[in-house]
Amino acid sequence: MIEVENLEKTYVSGSLATPVLKGVSFRIEAGELVAIMGTSGTGKSTLMNLLGCLDAPTGGRYRLGGADVVELDDDALSQLRNRRIGFVFQQFHLLARASALKNVLLPLIYAEDYPADAEARARRVLAAVGLADRMGYRPSELSGGQQQRVAIARALVTDPAILLADEPTGNLDRRSGLEILAIFQRLHREGRTIVVVTHDPAIAEHAERVIVLRDGRIVEDRKVENPRDAERALQATGELAEDEPATAVATEGRAQ
Amino acid sequence: MRLLRIAREGLTALGTSKLRTFFMMAGTIVGVAALTVVMAIGAGTERMVMKRVSVFGFRAIMVIAGGGSTLTPPQGDVVTLTLADAEAIREIAGIEIATPTAMKRGVAVKAGAVQTQTTVFAVEPDWHEAWEWYARSGEQTSAEDVTEMARVCLLGATPAHDLFGPVDALGQYVQIGNVRFLVKGVLESKGTSPMGTDMDNRAVIPLTTGMRRLFNQDHLAQIRIKVKDPNDLEAIGTKVRALLHERHHITPPQEDDFQVRTAADVAKLVRGISGTLSTLLTALAGLSLLVGGVVLMNILLISVSERVPEIGLRRTLGGRERDIFTQFLTESLAVTLLGMLVGSALGWGASAALSAFTELPVTLSWRPFALAVASSLAVGLFFGIQPARRAARLRPVEALR
Repeated sequence: MIEVENLEKTYVSGSLATPVLKGVSFRIEAGELVAIMGTSGTGKSTLMNLLGCLDAPTGGRYRLGGADVVELDDDALSQLRNRRIGFVFQQFHLLARASALKNVLLPLIYAEDYPADAEARARRVLAAVGLADRMGYRPSELSGGQQQRVAIARALVTDPAILLADEPTGNLDRRSGLEILAIFQRLHREGRTIVVVTHDPAIAEHAERVIVLRDGRIVEDRKVENPRDAERALQATGELAEDEPATAVATEGRAQ
Repeated sequence: MRLLRIAREGLTALGTSKLRTFFMMAGTIVGVAALTVVMAIGAGTERMVMKRVSVFGFRAIMVIAGGGSTLTPPQGDVVTLTLADAEAIREIAGIEIATPTAMKRGVAVKAGAVQTQTTVFAVEPDWHEAWEWYARSGEQTSAEDVTEMARVCLLGATPAHDLFGPVDALGQYVQIGNVRFLVKGVLESKGTSPMGTDMDNRAVIPLTTGMRRLFNQDHLAQIRIKVKDPNDLEAIGTKVRALLHERHHITPPQEDDFQVRTAADVAKLVRGISGTLSTLLTALAGLSLLVGGVVLMNILLISVSERVPEIGLRRTLGGRERDIFTQFLTESLAVTLLGMLVGSALGWGASAALSAFTELPVTLSWRPFALAVASSLAVGLFFGIQPARRAARLRPVEALR
């Protein structure tokens, strides 16, 4: 699915060249749940931008679903992002003045072919992240965890090949973070390819595989023997009565 | 369609901050409203010019006794314009008619117990032809009337109505000054003169009758000239002026004791009434559109920098540069078009009010609306391109940070 070979990125500012990625190579197969880990300044955000086709590498090769990404122009990259990649950010990045439903519909606006069942699809993915009863709410009327779930729904609505999440739990309390991880794990069980970028080893332990970056290079690429189960952790907190955690949390935000 | 979906994204921004949208529209509103009023007044003025000039006559030159700049002759005291002048003018090539007229204002006219005041014109038979002004009923002034100093008159529509009401004035007798006249005809109604006076308030009598019997004077008030070819108007006007300078022994810069007025002069006079206001409003319209455009551009630029993360998000989710460009340009165009609609409505309202409550000539038509559409689109495009381009050029990686 993702094939990265000797990927390099050097930022040039004036006469000063700062190499951030110094030849990174790995493959991620379809259906994997991978965490890319590293402390800040190790190049993981840069790698995330390259994997997300938001920036062009200064060296190396990147193949996404068999297509060489490095050769593409801006318009083609935009279309590629739209069709193949779902983004989840630390700051959610929702449109403040639009409802959850409108936010989820946003990527479809830029689709080459707007699906006839766009709204039904948006409702379906919102329901899948447990927000069936929050579709008309604006971000300011939702909790952080709910906002991040809207963002996940937005990433899923185009049915992308991979889901790229950059510190998806970074702005959330522990339980909301666990909810998000539980959703990722469920999506993974359903066959999604997911890449989570994080600095937090505890988050990374929820993946099947961890790639550790240090100083622009991969220093570790290992399989996680027993990935933590976010859903079980949630139930262990004992505060959730229902077996569908997302829905249960969703009702706490606002009285019916 | 993709373009429509993206354009709609541009529209949604308008509803989110109504005050901001209003400020963006303000210049266009004022500009278009002023533009609409200017054009309504302009069209109204031109219509009035045409009407007044057609009353004056497209082939007419008026020689008026007395200097100055108004179209009406002074009362009686300028005695230098004579029948001999009229004879001399007649010799100028290209002139079809040059007919002398003596005149007196404020003459009492009586019919039995009913009395009114009118202006008496003493004319020769070709006066009718020169003015293209004929009898509605009865007969016109004839050559015999002039040679016989006949005590006959034609009444204008106003005194005919004032004195006789619904009764036919024809064949009745009226007393003009101290002389009894037979009403041999009633003139067609001409309405308002180029200077806004009632053309129909007059009595027309034979020239000799007027000069000998009624006014007892040798001088004329005006000479009405009709040229053969309207293209010669100005040239003949110049010749007439030169001839009268010579005959009256006037050398400019000495002041003239006469005026020569052509149809073009009349048009100029009528335009003068609303010219100043039009110039002022045109300047206001242009200035508002320009200032409004600059304000629009600035608010859009601010809005672009405020919405950097939103733009980054849209780019990340698959928006191309030109999609972002389209979105912001749509916003700009929508604002100016909306402002244009409001401004047009205001302008039409103001024009209608002007027409109802003032003397200003106002004519509404589709023209100002067409110009408003064109100018607001131009403003929206011109001042919207820069912000839209700036938004489109944001790099998604940096915009999302």
